Order: sequence, then structure tokens, then C-alpha cells
Amino acid sequence: MSADRTVKLLWSATALGGAAAVASYFVMGGPRFWANWVVWFLFLLTLALGALFLVALEHLVSARWSVPLRRIPERLASLLIPLCAVALVGLGSLKTLFPGARPEAALDPLLAGKAVWLGVPCFSARVALCAALGLVPLVVLLRGSLRQDRDHDPRFTIRARRFAPVCMAIFALLVTQAAFDWIGGLTPAWYSDVIGVYLFAGAFMAGLAATVLAVIYLRGKERLQAVRFDHFFNLGAFLFAFTVFWAYIAFAQYMLMWYGNLPDEVLWYQAHTGGAWLGVVVLLALLHFFVPFFALVPRDAKGDLKRLRWVAVVVLAAHWLDLYWLVFPALGAPVFSWPELGFALFFVGATLLWTRGAMAHGEDMPVGDPFLREGLEFRL
Amino acid sequence: MNPEPTSFPAGLPEVLRAPALTVGKVTPGSVDDQVLRFPGQAPPFKWYVAVACTSAVAALGMALIGYTFYRGIGAWGNTSPVFWAFDIINFVFWVGIGHAGTLISAILFLLRKRWRNAIARFAEAMTIFAVMCAGIFPLIHVGRPWVAFWLLPYPNQRGLWTNFRSPLLWDVFAVSTYFSVSLMFWYLGLIPDLASLRDRTESRIRKPIYAILSLGWRGAANHWRHYEKAYILLAGLATGLVLSVHSVVSFDFATSIVPGWHMTIFPPYFVVGAVFAGFAMVLVVLIVVREAMDLHNLITDFHLEVMCKVILGMSCLMGYAYVIEGFTAWYSMNSFLHHVFMNYITGTYGWAGWLTITCNVLLPQLLWFRKCRRSYPWMLLVAAAVTVGMWFERFVIIVISLHQDYLPSAWRIYKPTLTDYGILLGSFGIFFTLVLLFARVLPVIATSEMKADLPGAQPRHGADHE
Amino acid sequence: MNETFAVLGLFDSADALMEAVPKVKARHLGRLEAYTPYPVHGLDRALEQRRSPLAGMVMVMGVLGALTALLFQYWISAVDYPIITGGKAPSSWQAFVPIMFEVMVLFATFTAGLGMLLLLNRLPTFGHPVLQAKAIRGITRDRFALAVEAEEGAGDGFAPVARAALEAAGARDIELLPAPARGPWLTAGFIQKSLAGIAVACLVSGLVMYGAVKLIPVLPPMSHMEDQPRLDPQAQSTFFKDGRGMRMPVAGTVARGFMPPGFASEDEAARLVNPLPRTPAVLAKGRAEYQIRCAVCHGALGNGIPTLSAAYGAKPANLQAPNFQAYSDGRIYGAIVLGKNAMPSYAADLPEDARWAVVHYVRALQRAQNAKDEDLK
Repeated sequence: MSADRTVKLLWSATALGGAAAVASYFVMGGPRFWANWVVWFLFLLTLALGALFLVALEHLVSARWSVPLRRIPERLASLLIPLCAVALVGLGSLKTLFPGARPEAALDPLLAGKAVWLGVPCFSARVALCAALGLVPLVVLLRGSLRQDRDHDPRFTIRARRFAPVCMAIFALLVTQAAFDWIGGLTPAWYSDVIGVYLFAGAFMAGLAATVLAVIYLRGKERLQAVRFDHFFNLGAFLFAFTVFWAYIAFAQYMLMWYGNLPDEVLWYQAHTGGAWLGVVVLLALLHFFVPFFALVPRDAKGDLKRLRWVAVVVLAAHWLDLYWLVFPALGAPVFSWPELGFALFFVGATLLWTRGAMAHGEDMPVGDPFLREGLEFRL
Repeated sequence: MNPEPTSFPAGLPEVLRAPALTVGKVTPGSVDDQVLRFPGQAPPFKWYVAVACTSAVAALGMALIGYTFYRGIGAWGNTSPVFWAFDIINFVFWVGIGHAGTLISAILFLLRKRWRNAIARFAEAMTIFAVMCAGIFPLIHVGRPWVAFWLLPYPNQRGLWTNFRSPLLWDVFAVSTYFSVSLMFWYLGLIPDLASLRDRTESRIRKPIYAILSLGWRGAANHWRHYEKAYILLAGLATGLVLSVHSVVSFDFATSIVPGWHMTIFPPYFVVGAVFAGFAMVLVVLIVVREAMDLHNLITDFHLEVMCKVILGMSCLMGYAYVIEGFTAWYSMNSFLHHVFMNYITGTYGWAGWLTITCNVLLPQLLWFRKCRRSYPWMLLVAAAVTVGMWFERFVIIVISLHQDYLPSAWRIYKPTLTDYGILLGSFGIFFTLVLLFARVLPVIATSEMKADLPGAQPRHGADHE
Repeated sequence: MNETFAVLGLFDSADALMEAVPKVKARHLGRLEAYTPYPVHGLDRALEQRRSPLAGMVMVMGVLGALTALLFQYWISAVDYPIITGGKAPSSWQAFVPIMFEVMVLFATFTAGLGMLLLLNRLPTFGHPVLQAKAIRGITRDRFALAVEAEEGAGDGFAPVARAALEAAGARDIELLPAPARGPWLTAGFIQKSLAGIAVACLVSGLVMYGAVKLIPVLPPMSHMEDQPRLDPQAQSTFFKDGRGMRMPVAGTVARGFMPPGFASEDEAARLVNPLPRTPAVLAKGRAEYQIRCAVCHGALGNGIPTLSAAYGAKPANLQAPNFQAYSDGRIYGAIVLGKNAMPSYAADLPEDARWAVVHYVRALQRAQNAKDEDLK
């Protein structure tokens, strides 16, 4: 398929999806619309942040094997720019989905003490602050990286390494805010301090999976030919390791709340595992842990392109399912029909269009990076 | 592992060049000569002095343990409501110290960080000794240590079984698994070095001992391939243990509903804290080994620098955990949790809370400065602060949460006894005695692993792993 | 004369060894083996050694370990002796996961370690010819050896040909390894069999013991504190002469609620004063007690017309009679406590304050039945 036709197809799919999404607001009601919006916002936010984490991690530990690949997660991280708009639109969901944002919260004895924090002004201020902070790493790391393509100045690498800890702090803040506000806020009486870490695990997996898919796609298009089994092996190994890490955090949170059996904590799990949601949980465990784990256990499988491709797709689908499971119980029983598909079309199409546009900027590899050659020569 | 980069792009700034992992000319033979001469020769006088001091302290600790058996737990300060105090603090502290060794030998192996070679052996030995010290405490803190075997599930005429729903039993399995796996991993790594020792020594006593312990290792390529596979599999399994063992230890607290204990962030928070404390201890031992055994060419400034950076990173993660816990305590709108957290910094033991924050989060920030990462006094100051801070963190979590929890009529002040202090000191004595004995008897650096990563060690035209 | 086991060529670097391997392999002189101080990448491929099966073994044993732990815990907690602790159901799978994970790692570790050593590498082996060679010192230090092992029936010509081949391939030193004599007894095979035997013995004895304790009656769990040096009820005692553990109370012991009245006759009781105030509550209590205890004989109005039938025989006193009206409170109290004629003592039935309340009520009854005009005011 020629590039033009692909773009046209993407635009039509996005438009169709957008129309379906808007229609769902009027047909299915506000809550359904907003729940979908929040899920997709979080999905893309975590994907972009996961990719940003990959970039920042490389600079932080002065890794050299990932230098040839670094442009891909940089481009994925640029999704944070349109996500600012998505976040601002998402603020419309506060009165509908978030009990803490409604005026009655001030009267509820459980919420009265934090009604100001949960209310619309403070919530929006936090979202705006995080959106602004999220753009800072883009300016420093991404723009600098693109500039280094042209001027081959190693001082950017020094600057990036110095900035990496700050970027990590910003990342921690953004992921924690997203988890506590957008996910925890749906059940404001509930609290769990590990949800930030939980979202981080999912975010890193999503970022890795998206990077893997993008690299495989580019390799198929005769770009990034120099990337070898050794590089894919490392990506696959990280994906494997974080599959285990995600499962560990998910199980730890569940088991601790099951064990303590405290009313203020158990209510969340009762809503999220009651009725048909139990089936969703089983599916989530399968797709997010068992399938990727056993698929990537063999050593050769971690670097095998064919396997990595479908495992990455499964991981991304599982990450979406994870967020669906976190958000949709606010609506009651699990629902899945044309609004969800419409939103999927819209956001996936829009993301692919954006990344296509991003791929036109700069080279596919950071050609100005002083360690590019070493990265290409990397052997296990 | 990756070979040393043969050349840097012209004009690459000094700060970006990967620093040297070895200094001067290092060959496989020179590594052997430098490291393997210690097990064969008599140690210097200061070693004897050191062992005498640490053994004396250890003996004191063991005498006090005997006294505890005789008197009962009344010899300690544990009483209502603080039923867990120094005993569990010390247990968690020592298990935590062990995690650094496993991270260095297992996780860094999987990440192919070559700098681990110089320090993995004694770090792993420290793990084993730390777990041994840790294991003392659950055994002695039960009221009747002579029936401690009741912790194991065996068929008996009373028809009773252990309670598998209790995290204390998960601990028994987790810590004993951790000990077995660490021992197995460490021993496997030692086999080629023991073979080297066997072939170097002429002593009629030592040669048969090394020969038996090295199991007749001869370096056959056929054996190396199975060995390498076993090593990487064990590294992967040990990595799983690093996460799970201290998480199971954290479950001891997090599964209860004591305010301040029932926080879901405890599993990863404890793991990070364990690695943090362990790295500080490894840094101390590293400096001592480097100086006492004159290994400056094998343990370089780079090793010290990277250890400091890991400690700094872990310190930042600890800061994150403290902030999140504090925020969640407010956010929960739970008055008991509020009270406990205010107690952490303003109550009777509030000084311990401030000490913890200072030692764990503030002082390690000194390591942002290159000068501090390059100077022994600063590094030792930070390492000592981290050790103290992490011990006190467990004190804060355990004692402060327990001494004032739900029922005000049960609030009491906790006072440790001299026996408590003595046993804590004794555990340090036991640990350092074992470390000193290890340094005397076994090679402190994994010579075969070091040799494999020296420049020119691997064939240039070796077959690519496609 | 010793048959040659192998001819060993020594090289000074990994590169030299790797270059020599294909050259010597091409001569097809026998099985090749290399001896190095550390693992050399690509050597196993050059020697055409197959991939290690250890990973598969470890995976299988790991899964087996997890399943074993799960079934073991489930059997113990939910089937053999189910107890609900902490409100958790006996079959709580959530609680079984941590130990499942640890046992999985344990099984996998021992498979990796012992499987590699005993099964795959057949270590320990102490009698191998290389260990007796002069070259071994260099091999474990910094030299690389390539050994050409003689095949069965290779004959005398093998050694010189192999030597020449190795020298042509670049070996610095050559050493001939004679075939070993008898192998020692402490070999890998012996240890394998011993460990297997121990494992089987443990498993069998464990199951047998489990079955056996099921057949023998269960002992009480904690019998240590049942057997104490104290006197149990109705037990014998060697301390007392009559052999009885239970003793009568000391003379003069007063049972609770049975304090002696402090008077021996009605006259003495007449001096007592009613300590209770005349409140509605006290009167209500007095009425309640009177209706239970006294009305049976003395009648509801205290006039001696009871609900008993005439067949009863004894004639209860009419408390409205003038002589009873003249009784002091204390005298009525004395009648209750000591009894009077056919009336038994009610001291055991009425506690002290109830008795005084009844006295108040009787007084009230008397006044009610003999009301004067002033009482209505």
C-alpha cells in the first residue's frame, strides 16, 4: 500500500472513530463517553511516558546498546504534546465520573477533609501543572537529540546525562499524579499508595511494546536495518522482566487488601471483581502475565522478531484492558460495544497519524550521537 | 559481555569516555597472582587484631543470646504493646543487607555490567553471612526456641500443621530458600577459583581440601557450556528472589492492620530499602578490601563511583516512598493513620523519624558532588549514615506504630534493655568475623569471571550469536 | 606401558586456540576437547557441542515445584486439618502464592545447580587424566589447551600424529596424557545414586509416617500444661490423712449471702430498725417479693386468707390482726428470718434488703386495710 493510501485510510478511520465517539456521548450518555475518554487518555499517556522513561533511562545509566534505537521512543514520547489537549478535554469528565469533584463531596464525612483537594479547581491545577512539566523533558531531550543530528555536538549528550535525574523526577510525579487522580479519584474513599508504581509498571511495558512494534515496522520498511538480534534481545528481556514486575505489584496490592479485609480498601476490589468483572480479571492475568511470560521465557524467543511482534501487540491490548478494568467499574457492569470500538479507531488512528508525522522529523537513528557506532556494534 | 571499545570518536569529551575498569596491565596470570595469593599466605597482624575484636563482640552477643534462652524474652524490652522490637528490626535489617549482594551478582550479571566482576564474589559472600545473621533472630525471639522446629510442616500425632495463611511462615520458606539459592550460586561461582587454588598450592593439607571442594573441575569446554547455562539460570532465579524475599518480609507488616503497617507500597519500598542498605554495607567492605589487600588496579575509582550512584538513586527512591506514604496517610482521612504518621516525626520517638529522613534522604544527596564520590571520608560517612538510617527506619516502622496504635489505653513507652543492644552489636560482630574469615580463606574476587572480561580475553573472530 | 588417553596442546591466548580448533578438527584424529581458565565465546560451537538442555530441565522442575507447593499447602490447609484463621477460608489460594513462588525457585535452583554438576558435567570426578597433567596448573591460570582424545584401538601411531597436528596448528607445548588406572569411588555417579536414594527414602518415610499417624489416635496438641502439680476436684490426695483432696471449709466459714442474723429470738430482733427508706421503689420491690413468697399463705391482702385449700392444715396468720399491727418492724423481720410456728425461715429465700422491703410492704398493707380518715388527706 502506498504511503498516500495509508494516510488516507488512517484519516478516514480516525474520522469514523471520532464520529462514533461523539455519537456515543449522545446515544449512550455522558458517563460512557467520559469513561472511554479517560481510558484512552491514560493509555496514551502511559505509553508516551513509558517511551520517555526508556529515553531518560538510557541517558541516566549511559547505556550504549540502545543508542541506535533511541529515536523511536523519542518520537513516541512526543505524543505528550497532543495529550495536553486530551487532558484538558478530559477535565470535562470530573463532574460525571469523579465523586470527589462534585459539590456533595464536601458533605460526605469520608471526603469532607479532602474535598478541596479533589475538587475541580485543584484537580485541574494539578493536571495543568503536570502537563506543563511533561513538556520540559521533550524540550530538553527531544529537541536536543534532533539538533544533535545536525551539529554532531557531544555536549548534548553531557547535558542529557545531567538532566536525566530531573527527567526521572518529573516522570515519577506525572505517573503518580495520573494514578492517584485519574484512577484513584474514581473511588475517592479508597486509597492505595502503590498505584503509582502499578501504573509505572504498565507504562514501561506499554512503552517497550510500542517501541518494539515501531522498530519492527521500520525494519520491515528497509529502515533501521542495522538493528540486530542482540538489540531485540535486550528489548525482549526488559519486556519479560517487567511482565513479572507488573504481576508482582498487581498481586501484592490485591493480596494485601484481601488479607487486611478493611472496609475502606476492600470496597474497590469488590467493585472490580464482582460479577462479570471476575472474568475480565482472569483475562487480564492471562494476557498481561501468563501469555507474555511463557512466550518470552526461551532465550531465543526474546530476540525473535516474529514472536516479539505478536507479544508486543498482546501486551498493548493487555495494557488497554488493564486501564479498562481500572476505570470502567465506575459505570457498573462491564460493557463493550460500538462506543469502545469507535474510540479505539479514533485514538489508534490519531496516534498512528501523529507518529507518522513524527517519523518525518530527523533521522531514524540519532546519527549525531557519539556512541552510535558502539551501539551498532553491540553484541550480547 | 561487550569488549572494551577499541577507540573513541575523535574529540570526545573526557567526561563521556567510559572509565577504565582496570588500571595498568592486567592479565589472567596477574589477576591470579594478586587475588589468589591471600588464601595461601599468612595474614598480616592487623587481620588478627580485627578478628579478635569482632569475635569478642560476637561472643558477647552469643552469650547474651544464651542469657535470653535462660531468662526468657523478659530479658529484652519487648512488652505490651510493643511485642516486636529489636528482634524483628535486626532480622529485617540483616535480610535487607543481603539483598545488595544478590543484586550485584545476579541482576548486574543479567544486565551485563562488567563492573560487577570485581565485587560480585565478596558481595555474594556478604549476602550469605547477612542472611545467617538474620536467621538468628526469628529463632531466638520465639518464647521456646527448643521447639522452633514446629515451624516446619511435618506429620505428627497431634494432627497439627503449620498455618500457611500466616506471612510469618512465608518468611520461613522465603528466607531459607534465599539462603539455599545464594549458597548454591556462590558455591558454583567458587568452583573454578577453587580449582585454581588447587593447582597453585603445594600444601599437603590445603591441596586435597581444594581438590574435593572444586569437585575435580578441569575447565573443559563441555563443562563450561553447562556451567554458563546454570549460572545465567541461577542469576535469573536469584533476581526473582531479590524481589520476592524482602517483599515477603514486608508482608509480615503489610498484611496486618496496624496503622502505618498496612500500606500497599511496602513490598517495593522494602526491596528498595534493602538494596539501599546493602549497597552501603558493600561500599564499606569494598573500601576496606581495596585498601587492605591493595587491589587498586582491580577495584578502581569507577567501581566506587558507580556504587555511590546506585546509593544515590536508591536514596531518591526512598524519598519518593516517604512522600507517597505521607501523602497517602493524609489522603486516607483515617484518623489512626494520621496519628501514627504525626507520631513518626513529633511523638516520643520523633527524633528517630527525623534521624531516618536525614540519614536516608538528606545525607546521601552529598553524593551528587563528584568530590564526595571520590573521597573515602565522605563515602564512609554516607555509608555509615545509610546503615544507621535504615536500621532506624525499621525502628520507626515497628516501634512507633506499635507503641501507639488504635487503643489509647494500651499506649506505652518502649525501652530496650542492655541485652537488646548487646545482641544487636553481637550480630555485627558475627557478620564481620565471617567476612574477615572469608577474606582470609577464599578468593575475594571471582578470578575466572574477571579473566573472561579482560581486554583481549575473548577471541576477536569468535562466532557471532547470530 | 600406558595407553595414551589424549594428546594435549597448550596455547597462550583464546585467539590462538580458536584458530587451531578448525585446523585440528579437519584432521579427524579423534574427539576434541578444550580446557580453558574461563569460558571462551564460540568455543562450544567450534567444537560442535550441542546446546545445554539445562534450561528446559529447570523450567519443568520449576513448574513442578510450584504445583507441589500448591497441592501440599492445599492438602494441609483445606483437607487434612481445616481451620479458619483470621477469617480466611482454609483454601485461600492468595495465601499460597508466596510459598509457591519460593518453592518453585528452590526446585529450579537445585535442578540448575545439582543437575549441571551431577547429571550433565558428571562432577565430582577426581580421576581424570587432565588433573594429573603438568598442564593443569597453566589451564586454571592463563593457558588454553586443546586435547585430542584417542579413539578405541587407536594404536601406537596415534600420539605422534596428534602431536604433529597440534604443533602445526600453533601449540606452544605438547603433553601426552596416559590413560588412568581405576577410577575413585567418590564420583558423580555415586553421589547421584546416593542423593536419589536419600530423596526416595525421605519421600517414602514421610508418606509412611503420615499414614501411620493417621491410624494412631490423636494426642492432645499441648499436653505440657495439662499435667500440673495442683489439686483437681474430686481427686485423691496423699497430703491429708483421709486421702481426700476435697476438704470441708474451716469451722466458722460463712457462705456468701448467708451471714448469721445476729439475733437468736424474735425479741432480740424486735430492736432492729428498718434501714431502707420508704420509697415507691422499695415498696414495689417489697410487693413483688411478698406476692412471690408470702401471699401464698398470708393472702394478697395479708389477711390470712390464702390461695391454699383448706386441706393444707396449718392456719396462716392474719397480718391485719391488731397484735400484728403492734409488731415492730424488727419483730416482723425476725419472723421472716427465724420462722414462726409452722412458717419456716425465709432467710435463704430473701436477701437482707428484700426482707426489709417486705416489711415495708406489710406495714403498707396493714395501713391500707385499716385506713383512717387522715390517710386520705
